[in-house]
Amino acid sequence: MTARLTRWTGLAALVTTALTVWLGLWVTPPAKVQGTLVRLLYIHPPVAWVALYCAFGLAALSSVLYLWRRTRSLFWDRLGAAAVEVGVVFTALTLVTGSLWGRPTWGVWWTWTARLTSTALLLVLFLGYMALRRVPASPEVRARRCAVAAIVAFVDVPIVSFSVDWWQTLHQRGTVLNPGLTLKVHGSMAWTMGLGFLAMTLVFVWMVLVRYRLEVLADRVGDEELEVSLSERWAETGGVPSPPAAVQAPELWGGRR
Amino acid sequence: MTAAAAPAAAVDPQRRRQRRLRLAGAFVLLAAAIAYLLVEGLGSSLDYFDTVGQAVAQRSSIGSSTIRLEGVVVRGSITRTATGADFEVAGQGRTVVVHNTGSPPQLFQTDIPVVVVGHFAGRTNVFVSDQIMVKHSATYIAAHPTRVKGPGGTVVR
Repeated sequence: MTARLTRWTGLAALVTTALTVWLGLWVTPPAKVQGTLVRLLYIHPPVAWVALYCAFGLAALSSVLYLWRRTRSLFWDRLGAAAVEVGVVFTALTLVTGSLWGRPTWGVWWTWTARLTSTALLLVLFLGYMALRRVPASPEVRARRCAVAAIVAFVDVPIVSFSVDWWQTLHQRGTVLNPGLTLKVHGSMAWTMGLGFLAMTLVFVWMVLVRYRLEVLADRVGDEELEVSLSERWAETGGVPSPPAAVQAPELWGGRR
Repeated sequence: MTAAAAPAAAVDPQRRRQRRLRLAGAFVLLAAAIAYLLVEGLGSSLDYFDTVGQAVAQRSSIGSSTIRLEGVVVRGSITRTATGADFEVAGQGRTVVVHNTGSPPQLFQTDIPVVVVGHFAGRTNVFVSDQIMVKHSATYIAAHPTRVKGPGGTVVR
């Protein structure tokens, strides 16, 4: 069921991405002012949309659902971890595509304007989340820590979002998410951008599905490795678990489900 | 884990709830204080530039310190020089003359908002800059809505 869903999502992501590339590079016209540089419009905003709202939104939501006692399950922890990891990739891509767009249009690869600074901070915050996941702990303790970290880091998302409205920045204001929600893109460029949003969202869903499965498999491998090493120890000592092994890995003992 | 939970369970639930409430109150107060300091302290310092109107109004306090100045390039004011370009930027009914050295970015043109980095020269309202950044808008319109250029400059439609 999940395998089939993953396959179809992947296929849909591939098709819509290919269509966006074709429309974006060959079919749509060059724009007034920006000329052919406008083609970054079909990739940069969709990538940023996935990073900010899809990935970190999902991460924050699953973190809340993990912390809430009635819905607490390691499913939400794994889903949040998968979403964050994909989100970090998309945030990095947002910074890279933005930088590539900034050099020819603004004239600089990078500058410390509010939108850019808060986005760079977002990348570092969620890299911190990923580092926190590698700190040894029982799955429950790790899940609780990471859920809190994800919610704290998510505070930066609205700051990134509203930075262009709150302060004077070099970055232009929202093309879609502006006060009044008026789309400022015309004709075929508008629906190519829309397709770009759909394509990147599908890529995101596919990546989260694959990453979630990896997380489950990694947990299973961890459990099996533990069992193998335990049985090896028992064999060595003739059926009695040796005290040093138990002392060295208390968190693994505590973390067995 | 269990060692830490044991004494807490020994305290009666009423007092534990009270302690937790007080802790939450302190946390909220701390968060509010930090937020207040951030807004007060950072406030306008998070603004990337001064507009022409703001800069002219605060001309005496700015002195000759380096700032970023934002304005729209006045039509017909651009003169390319050997080292860069001279032009005027306007905003909020004020105009500032800019002497820029260095090559402007490719989108630099008349009627477009720009941010120039530099300082006012002496006591004048002349701005000496060594960097121009183009602040384009979020509006995207086709250059030629009725035709599309194919490879090699041939008109397809």
